[in-house]
Amino acid sequence: MINVSFYLRRLHSLCGLLLLGGVLVEHLLTNASAMGGPEVFNQGLAMMEMIPPPVFLGIEICLYAVPILFHGIYGIFIALDAKNNPGAYGYSRNWKFALQRYTAWYLVAFLIWHVGYLRIYLKGIMGEHISYALVQSVISNPIVFVLYALGMFAAIFHFCNGITTFCMTWGIAKGPRAQCVVDKIAMGLCALMCLLTLAFMFSYIA
Amino acid sequence: MAEQKKTITFIIERQDSPTSAPYTQEFEIPYRPALNVVASLMEIQKNPVTKDGKKVAPVTWECNCLEKVCGACMMVINGKARQACCALIDELEQPIRLAPARTFPVIRDLLIDRSVMFESLKRVQAWVEVDGTWEVKDAPIQNPYTATTAYEISHCMTCGCCLEACPNVGPQSDFIGASPSVQAYLFNLHPLGKFDKEKRLNALMGKGGITGCGNSQNCVEVCPKNIKLTTYLAQLNRDVNKQALKNIFNK
Repeated sequence: MINVSFYLRRLHSLCGLLLLGGVLVEHLLTNASAMGGPEVFNQGLAMMEMIPPPVFLGIEICLYAVPILFHGIYGIFIALDAKNNPGAYGYSRNWKFALQRYTAWYLVAFLIWHVGYLRIYLKGIMGEHISYALVQSVISNPIVFVLYALGMFAAIFHFCNGITTFCMTWGIAKGPRAQCVVDKIAMGLCALMCLLTLAFMFSYIA
Repeated sequence: MAEQKKTITFIIERQDSPTSAPYTQEFEIPYRPALNVVASLMEIQKNPVTKDGKKVAPVTWECNCLEKVCGACMMVINGKARQACCALIDELEQPIRLAPARTFPVIRDLLIDRSVMFESLKRVQAWVEVDGTWEVKDAPIQNPYTATTAYEISHCMTCGCCLEACPNVGPQSDFIGASPSVQAYLFNLHPLGKFDKEKRLNALMGKGGITGCGNSQNCVEVCPKNIKLTTYLAQLNRDVNKQALKNIFNK
């Protein structure tokens, strides 16, 4: 009786909320600093570059790559367990259940592109230096801008709805009132984070 | 109003055998006040002729108590899982579409095989191991507040609405669904049943157990007995997590 799937599921939940949630918030904050101008953004990156490269790579692998790969690959199996039915049962929670999975599919494709191009190709292989100018040049393409905005919205919704389901899965919010309050707070946070995203994305191209 | 409702049209999804392909047939029956879906199916049974005049085999379905207590007549009515006996024609949009609950194996027409729920109940040990009779003064004490909760959960009639509505229950997944999971909680509340709490929680931690729940919360929306399924699932999540810690650190 080891119940592997039980522990994997709980690990999936923890890893998504704490580690990947952290990655998302880090991205939001770093990019939000771009609203203060190129100097502020580049200064922030310079701060990060003060971490010695081997340590930084270790952090990237342990706190970014491994959790994303685990959450993503195991998540695909979870998504395949569902037969989404918001058409027949159009309740708000059921829509969010389906959206959690739709956003997940988009994020799989988006993250392969985002990490593959920026981190692995540009920074890793071409040795390009990540800077304000680079981010600006990437998202100044209107199609890339829209796909990036959708990617951010998908990640933000997935994270915020994940807070609600985390509270249910871990038995934190038990009754309908508590669950409703958590849901409203999470969706409020989702709206705020989406607005912040739009603000800094437009500040790059303004 | 009565003039408009002279007839009722049904579009019924039929299937001749467990393995044959489904097809639909249209039936029309005369309107009668206070008619429900079961009574309408009985009407069709008396004269199984489709709307275009073809004589066909009568529609097969299951029903028993006719008062929302047995759960037997659960089917998909206008897209949602519910009891046919309490689905009043006056409250339904026409044409009324009937279909079997395909989360379960279809035997014929609207008749389904729900024995998978019985198997799940056995898996989570949804019974009290030690039982007996007591004089009132000697009986194990039952907290009246707990008894109220237990009474609510005991209304479950294994109709399968919660399983049919759940996106995570079906051939693509091994999740046992809300009803059997929450029954484990019912027996964990029992003064004698709670001795086997650990067994039930460990069963819920196993394959197809409570981790299959994806919080779509359709179960609580469709439950004909208004059992607060999501509340008890959250409580079970709490209990299962505590049990997991015990399994890790107490052995």
